[in-house]
Amino acid sequence: MTDSAPPIDAAIAPSSGRSLGIKTKTYFYAALLIVAAVVLVPLITTALGGFKTLGDLRGNAFGLPQTWMVSNYADILFSQRYWLQMGNSLLIAGLTVFLVLTLAAMAAFVFAHVRFFGSDHLLNYFLIGLMFPAATAILPLFIRIRDLGLLDTYWGVVLPQVAFGLGMSILLFRNYFRGMPSELFDAAFVDGAGYFRFFWHITLPLSRPIIATVGIITFVGSWNSYILPLIMLNSESKYPWPLGIMVYRGEFSTDWQLILAFITLTITPTIIVFFAAQKHIIAGLTAGAVK
Amino acid sequence: MAGLELRNLAKSYGMVSVIEGINLDVKDGEFVALVGPSGCGKSTILRMIAGLEDITEGDIYIGGEVVNELTPKERNIAMVFQSYALYPHMTVYRNMAFNLELAGRPKAEIDQRVRVAAKMLELEPLLDRKPSQLSGGQRQRVAMGRAVVRNPSVFLFDEPLSNLDAKLRVQMRAEIKLLHKKVGVTSVYVTHDQVEAMTLADRVVVLDKGIIQQAGSPMELYRQPANTFVAGFIGSPSMNFFAATIVGGVAKMETGEAFPFNPREQLAEGQAVTVGVRPEHFQRSGSGPSLSGPIDIVEPTGGLTFVTVHLAGQPTVVTISGDDTVKLGASLTLFTQPEQVYVFDGASGRRISEN
Repeated sequence: MTDSAPPIDAAIAPSSGRSLGIKTKTYFYAALLIVAAVVLVPLITTALGGFKTLGDLRGNAFGLPQTWMVSNYADILFSQRYWLQMGNSLLIAGLTVFLVLTLAAMAAFVFAHVRFFGSDHLLNYFLIGLMFPAATAILPLFIRIRDLGLLDTYWGVVLPQVAFGLGMSILLFRNYFRGMPSELFDAAFVDGAGYFRFFWHITLPLSRPIIATVGIITFVGSWNSYILPLIMLNSESKYPWPLGIMVYRGEFSTDWQLILAFITLTITPTIIVFFAAQKHIIAGLTAGAVK
Repeated sequence: MAGLELRNLAKSYGMVSVIEGINLDVKDGEFVALVGPSGCGKSTILRMIAGLEDITEGDIYIGGEVVNELTPKERNIAMVFQSYALYPHMTVYRNMAFNLELAGRPKAEIDQRVRVAAKMLELEPLLDRKPSQLSGGQRQRVAMGRAVVRNPSVFLFDEPLSNLDAKLRVQMRAEIKLLHKKVGVTSVYVTHDQVEAMTLADRVVVLDKGIIQQAGSPMELYRQPANTFVAGFIGSPSMNFFAATIVGGVAKMETGEAFPFNPREQLAEGQAVTVGVRPEHFQRSGSGPSLSGPIDIVEPTGGLTFVTVHLAGQPTVVTISGDDTVKLGASLTLFTQPEQVYVFDGASGRRISEN
């Protein structure tokens, strides 16, 4: 009946009608290249360093390798230890992400939609957690984990990570949920959905960007975490990769080229995951900022 | 289907009372519009009927039963929202099927009911689309479809047309009226647009400051407004008001002009009154006392021309035929009929003329 023009898609519509002058353009590109270099140079140096011999690395830190020591990478890739540690890291990070997403989303939903006595105080209580880095609490944390009998278990690392991750995640989730139109909730309520079904059928499917954002932040945090596993884990079979690097540190010398190769191989998965989720992350961080 | 009754309905937020003692009977199948300026409490009343807002005092009956404590689902109402509130991640089909799915209906029944509703609203070709791929009018129809599929006892509309452009609004207005004719469900329609209310509803309820000012058929409100508020709110352009006093049975203004009118009660000499004359009730020829003044503004709209004339010391809007030519600055002499002069008590605003 009413045939109208297709709605304008803001993603593909030109954002402004002006085109930039050549001078401005050059300036933009130069500035962006410098910033990009700051990020990329260390990454590339690391990756290339993994192909060098120790002597080559000492004498020629930034250039291309004189001989490409592919064996550095191959040895690591074919070692059982690498895959074991990657598996441990993945398991710990996966459990952490799953628990943080589940708990933070549910808690944030309550804070965003249900008004109850003391909700503000309870929220503040969660947010106080943002002020303490895990390292400051390491001793009481160690004692508590020991009392719980979780030393040298994956849970001994996962649970503290979840606890420290919740504050920020709840904050991000809550702001996102509050930005959703309240009429959606009214409509769902009229349709016969309670809080739980609204959460499951409406809120979660619409929260993909924020789920990706919180998921990635938590994943990377857990993936790179060093101090918690160091304190909580004793047996090498449970070590995640940051602890695994220590193997290459000898008493008198360190195989830096192997460390660099190892680091390159371990951060590759996070880079892949990041690029896969990048679109959602940008949407998640800016959601609700501008109406 | 069922009738709807509001008994002494009241709502207050802490000490602030927003709705006071609303009594309203909506008969089975009737279409009632709640109309009033923003902040008059009309949306709050609708949300209380829907079960989205707690009731402070009074009772709501649907089909003869008190529903105060029931959820929207248990009340079996359907609501169309101003922003449509379609679920963005679901197709049109799932948007319409969602409440039936939640109610645990068998798949075949859901499918059949969605298709019937889609057919009624001509949504069949759009069933697989997402709301973001629809135009405003189509979204509006999906929102109505979502309400129709569940066979509700009462239909609630919360300013459903205010997000549409003027032309589409007129078209959707006709579609809503048609839909009501087809399904015949008791409907309550909230709007701030008196034209929408008058054209759609069997009965219009005018609200102001949380109180019902008047309820009646559209023409009743137009012809016999209960007070100055209703008189000023209903009709477009709105009624012109003049301050006057009763002298010798006529309403005399400070500037000396007098309006003869038909009183419906004993008048006190010197009583302060407000005289109201609709723009379309001024005539350019006639007999008896007349008013005249210079033309300040001329606004042609096609069939009708709105002329603002400086009458009795104030700008006064007069509607004349679009065929008549008038000149800016020229003097216009206007006559009124006694039965078309509305007179209201100056203090209470109550109408005291017989019209």
